Amino acid sequence: MTYIRTFLNIIALPLILLAIWFVSTLGETSFFVPTPQALVETFFETWTSERFVSDVFPSLGRLMIGIVLSILIGIGAGLLIGSFRWLRALLEPTLEFFRAIPPPVLIPVIMLLIGIGDEMKVSVIVLGAVWPILLNTIEGVRSMDEVLADTSRTYGMNKINSVRYLILPSAMPQIMAGIRQSLSIALILMVISEMFASTEGLGFAIVQFQRSFAIPEMWSGIVLLGLIGVILSFIFQLAERWILGWYHGLREIEQAA
Amino acid sequence: MTSEHSQPTNPVISQSGVQDTPDGRIPVGKTMPGEEPMLSVQNLKKVYHTDGGDIEAVRNLTFDLPKGQLACLVGPSGSGKTTLLKCISGLMAPTEGEVTLHGEKVTGPPKSMAVVFQEYGRSLFPWLRVAENVELPLKNQGMDKTARREVVAEALEAVGLSHVPKSYPWQLSGGMQQRVAIARAVAYKPEVLLMDEPFAAVDAQTRADLEDLVRGIWKKLGVSVLFVTHDIDESVYLGERVIILSSSPTVIQEDVLVDLPAERDQLETRSSQRFAELRHHVYEQIQLAKKGFRPEDAVANANA
Repeated sequence: MTYIRTFLNIIALPLILLAIWFVSTLGETSFFVPTPQALVETFFETWTSERFVSDVFPSLGRLMIGIVLSILIGIGAGLLIGSFRWLRALLEPTLEFFRAIPPPVLIPVIMLLIGIGDEMKVSVIVLGAVWPILLNTIEGVRSMDEVLADTSRTYGMNKINSVRYLILPSAMPQIMAGIRQSLSIALILMVISEMFASTEGLGFAIVQFQRSFAIPEMWSGIVLLGLIGVILSFIFQLAERWILGWYHGLREIEQAA
Repeated sequence: MTSEHSQPTNPVISQSGVQDTPDGRIPVGKTMPGEEPMLSVQNLKKVYHTDGGDIEAVRNLTFDLPKGQLACLVGPSGSGKTTLLKCISGLMAPTEGEVTLHGEKVTGPPKSMAVVFQEYGRSLFPWLRVAENVELPLKNQGMDKTARREVVAEALEAVGLSHVPKSYPWQLSGGMQQRVAIARAVAYKPEVLLMDEPFAAVDAQTRADLEDLVRGIWKKLGVSVLFVTHDIDESVYLGERVIILSSSPTVIQEDVLVDLPAERDQLETRSSQRFAELRHHVYEQIQLAKKGFRPEDAVANANA
């Protein structure tokens, strides 16, 4: 019963929006706004053929590599910086500066430095997506519970075990919040990085459709991006439920008390 | 140490049960005659440096904890009990003086010491299950898996928690969580067990059970226990000895031998006459401490 209700909750608004769209485009002849039926047709025509291999696949590959690198670098550097007060004092002002730079403006610079290949696109994704993870990890490590840290010290926990059983799990709620933000940033930067000097990719394809007046195709690319975002967020939620099960249980009990 | 140690009688409360009022016979910073001093605190002083000036939490503390003794440290609130315990456990460096374990100076948390904190909710790893919490220090020591499993099962059995190894700590009641923390300490097999007001946050009935549990474990393992509490009844019921701390800056107000029978019972012991006398005496001393009475003044008066 609850599953059915959840499912209804999920699809209710999209159905209403589709209905509004359908009604408002009835008899519509505008070149720039396709009807729902036309869009669905175009969607399957456009993205199930070789474009999936030539555009979607490389885009998703770069997105995944970018996200994984961001997570690894963000958590790794965050653990290090969060663990040493002097390192934090030394780096944090500078990190804030770099974080404040919008990554798209770095694209021309990176193009000059490392060319226009996949490395450039992945670099742009990482340069934007790493910050929420890095800063949240630093904050998570810094706000470690004192009693828990004392407990670990009295039991003579070594460095590796401290990271694995104490520091990393205790910072995990904040790390996951950082990753969640990073996912949407990574998706945006994936598209933007493909709009410069590219020959393939989702961003490239959408711009190309627009310039060649393939309007329904352009719209279908935007829909595909939205779907990728939804799927990413769904995978993230599954992972979070698995990794932070203890945290949600603890919070529920605290709130009930 | 000195010749005073040759007389095994309680310097303050004589065996006849007559209580002495505070006078020159109170030993300042003197320890009970011990068999084999295991843990030794000498002239310990701790000053916190803050922006608003220095705060002297502990002025001068000296006492020994012999092997296998269960001693309670009791003092008015704000008497630096937790500071003292942090210095003893090596979590904090004293400003002056030193703590030695088996004659060796404590500079960091010693291997043979376990600490049970008051905040059970914050001292257990919420991301680990009960058995994993108990197991972690052993894993860290490099004990192999089968041995670990056995020790963990034994420790959980000892605290009466064999039925919940797979639960998370936060799914348990406060008293049960503190049992997990005790099981973890027991499994670690320390020589000295420090307990920092471990039952201050649990209800009275649970507390009585936990007190008996601590005495049972102490007897079974032969471990030295230093039990910090602000509860006078608890200190007398649990301890073989009660060390009364003065108000801050802390010195030892008095060191009392608890000559109750070894077998203690919540009903029998607590209603015995001797318990009442000891409790009365400790209570009196705490009241004196709260009023600002300091043992060094008493000595000065007696010598004058």
